[in-house]
Amino acid sequence: MTGPNATIAALQGALAAEHAAVYGYGIVGAMLAGAAQSDARTDWTAHQVARDTVVTMLTKLGATPVAASPAYKLPFAVTGTESAARLAAVLENGVTRAYLGLVAVSDPALRTFAAQEMQACASRALAWSGTTIAFPGMPT
Amino acid sequence: MLAALPTTLSLFPALSACKGPAVLSAPSSVSSQTQVLLQAVTSEQNLIWLYNKAIATYSGLAPTLAPLRAEHEAHLAQLRAMVIEPPGVRVPGTVTAKPALGTTQDAALAQLRTAEQTAVKTLMSRLGGASPSLAQLYASIAASEATHASVLGARIGAR
Repeated sequence: MTGPNATIAALQGALAAEHAAVYGYGIVGAMLAGAAQSDARTDWTAHQVARDTVVTMLTKLGATPVAASPAYKLPFAVTGTESAARLAAVLENGVTRAYLGLVAVSDPALRTFAAQEMQACASRALAWSGTTIAFPGMPT
Repeated sequence: MLAALPTTLSLFPALSACKGPAVLSAPSSVSSQTQVLLQAVTSEQNLIWLYNKAIATYSGLAPTLAPLRAEHEAHLAQLRAMVIEPPGVRVPGTVTAKPALGTTQDAALAQLRTAEQTAVKTLMSRLGGASPSLAQLYASIAASEATHASVLGARIGAR
């Protein structure tokens, strides 16, 4: 049984990951063109929607949602289409990890929401990387 | 250490004289959480059987299917490792469903995709009653199997 503090902490973790993804997809989209850029825009929008959903959840719990950082350190230099796609996959895997933390809370509705988001992130990661992984979100 | 020995020895006749303390006896039944876990083990075994059948029948699909089957084998190993109670519980090792395989490659791919989608739904239905660590494992496997369904869907009709 997780208490409200643990639930809020897990939601804040998911929100922080969504903020990072929204920022990161801005970089990804800037490096792409055509259909790939359109895909990046679609995924960017999906993360904005998820971010807003998590903000609403936190607000309903009486918590103050964490704010986005003004900037984020990228894990590697993004210089073209290949590294942009790689960054998109990294972003998706990071958000998947954050939602895995939310799956551990006791609220069944939150568990379901988090698991659905994990599936969405894993599918987007597949689209960008071209490969599947056995345990999305789990430490490797 | 040596001084304690006679006391220790004297305990053995006492223990062997009774039928055994209740604290050491195995639980009479498997918990509902473990039952669900054992069902998840069986589901993975059934999926692996279907992949084996598809690869054996349509060797051209092996490059697509073998990596997915390997991930199912990893899922199975992890699920089996989670079966920790009651001590000595028999983890199922038999396949319980052996459906006829689709008569074309695309039909087999569609069948596998449907099986993956069904597995995802079943795992999602197991989240609520699971311990936090089991729920995380179910959610992670569901995410993996959702990507399998995407891979299979993309392969249908492709040559």
